Amino acid sequence: MTSRKLQRKAHGQRPYFFDDPNVDKLVSMIMGLAGEVSVMHDRADTLERLLQTKGLVTQKEIREFQPSIEIMDERAAWRKTYLSEILRIIEGELEGTARGDLDPYEKAVKTVEAD
Amino acid sequence: MSAESQTQPQTQHSMLAPTDHDEFARQEFVRSYKEYLVHNVHQGNEKRYESSVKPAFEKKHNRPPKDRFEVAKEMTKDPYYQMFSSLLRTSQEMMWSSCQLPVERNLEELNAKVNQVTDGAVKGSLKLDENLATPRYHKAVDIHCQPGGYHNEFADKDASSGMVYDRAVHIYAMAQLGPYNDDIGASIIMWLQEKYPDFKPKRILDMGCSVGHSTIPYAEAFPDAKIYGIDVAAPMLRYAHARAESLNVPVHFSQQNAEKTNFKSGSFDLIVSHILLHETSEKAIHNIVKECHRLLKPGGMMAHGETPPYKNMSPFDAFMLDWDTRNNNEPFWARSHEIDLHKLSEKANFDPSKKIEEMIPSALQVAQARRSEVFQGGDFGGGGLWFVYGNKK
Ligand SMILES: C[S@@+](CC[C@H](N)C(=O)[O-])C[C@H]1O[C@@H](n2cnc3c(N)ncnc32)[C@H](O)[C@@H]1O
Repeated sequence: MTSRKLQRKAHGQRPYFFDDPNVDKLVSMIMGLAGEVSVMHDRADTLERLLQTKGLVTQKEIREFQPSIEIMDERAAWRKTYLSEILRIIEGELEGTARGDLDPYEKAVKTVEAD
Repeated sequence: MSAESQTQPQTQHSMLAPTDHDEFARQEFVRSYKEYLVHNVHQGNEKRYESSVKPAFEKKHNRPPKDRFEVAKEMTKDPYYQMFSSLLRTSQEMMWSSCQLPVERNLEELNAKVNQVTDGAVKGSLKLDENLATPRYHKAVDIHCQPGGYHNEFADKDASSGMVYDRAVHIYAMAQLGPYNDDIGASIIMWLQEKYPDFKPKRILDMGCSVGHSTIPYAEAFPDAKIYGIDVAAPMLRYAHARAESLNVPVHFSQQNAEKTNFKSGSFDLIVSHILLHETSEKAIHNIVKECHRLLKPGGMMAHGETPPYKNMSPFDAFMLDWDTRNNNEPFWARSHEIDLHKLSEKANFDPSKKIEEMIPSALQVAQARRSEVFQGGDFGGGGLWFVYGNKK
């Protein structure tokens, strides 16, 4: 698991809507991925616009680019955060379990209604 | 021009955690994702309900579902509703995560910036109380799924929950609270000025002020008044103070529980709160109304802004509005929307003949309608209306 400074999972039982909670987890992963793809789209769009404005790079050069070992390392580090975003649902579950955040949700409703 | 292209970005005041290219793109994605759910996916639930869930129920029972509980029993089994809920919950989790990332990256630096203002306060003030207990209703679950809630601290003199919250509210409301996230306060002010043009409060208290989104507009609308904001959560207040100072607006923030404050009786002409009551508890809401009565001067007024109560709502609408109770860590949401508020006021010795209960228009929406023709239909995003409950003393 990646180390984070802030808490990842909100305290409280996480609802699952499908009969098989893994379906909900897949939904979360797919939307996480969709988000990261959208981020990449924006970045590529930014770059291409800047480069074209400055007349610096052609489409052919982009297609034929070969990364160095250093670049590959940097990209691997980037993908670690990337994966952590996509797998947030799993990390959050582990974090909650580790914290002992296991009370049934109804307990919270009862607590505040009787408080 | 489409309605969406008119959304104003959040104002980049100096305390707002800066985002780099990808952090910003990630937040923008969540906003688009939420908008997409609201505009394209949400309405499918009602269609499913009307076309298959309700007819199936009627066939079996010879009557439609009588309340939101009966609707819930059937709807939670519907695959469309399940997918909608799964997507909506996920969007909420992604929202918090996307707002945490830029804060996390710069945590020490951002906290230092916030606390610098705190130490050299210029116009307003900040009083924290280390010994104030976090109410049980905030420890039961992290409200609306913000990891760590309002109160948890992850560094020395931490303000991270305030930083995360400021940005997240903008995304949560899909920019519909305006560039300063202040629409609830601004709407109550607009209503007050129209309905009570002679009311010129000299001392104003905002209960559960969070980062001061709704507090600030009171200082602007009533420049001669002294404005106080209280909250139980220190990280929110640290940020609120720094934010107010950076916006050059004098507010006096203190860490206090609205159930029992240390202000003298009769201290205020106007006491307001904005989406506070639904995040408290049965006992707390009683205590808060009592405390308002104690704190108001004779002739003063309390006004609490909320989303509308469940009464007069169809079982299906009430069921959909109740989504947050179970699925977005808002355990008091349902009960607070059903409670007889004026009974609370009476128990707190307010005069029932001076009660206040109104649906008021959103200030932002009115402003937008004035700017362009596009919004006059009144269907911009959410309801475009706030509910005000209160009483004069
Ligand atoms: C949804 S936020 C309020 C938003 C804010 N009023 C606005 O308009 O932007 C609820 C806030 O109420 C605070 N709160 C909850 N119970 C409280 C209490 N008993 N006394 C004071 N503050 C409380 C929470 O810490 C949280 O910051």
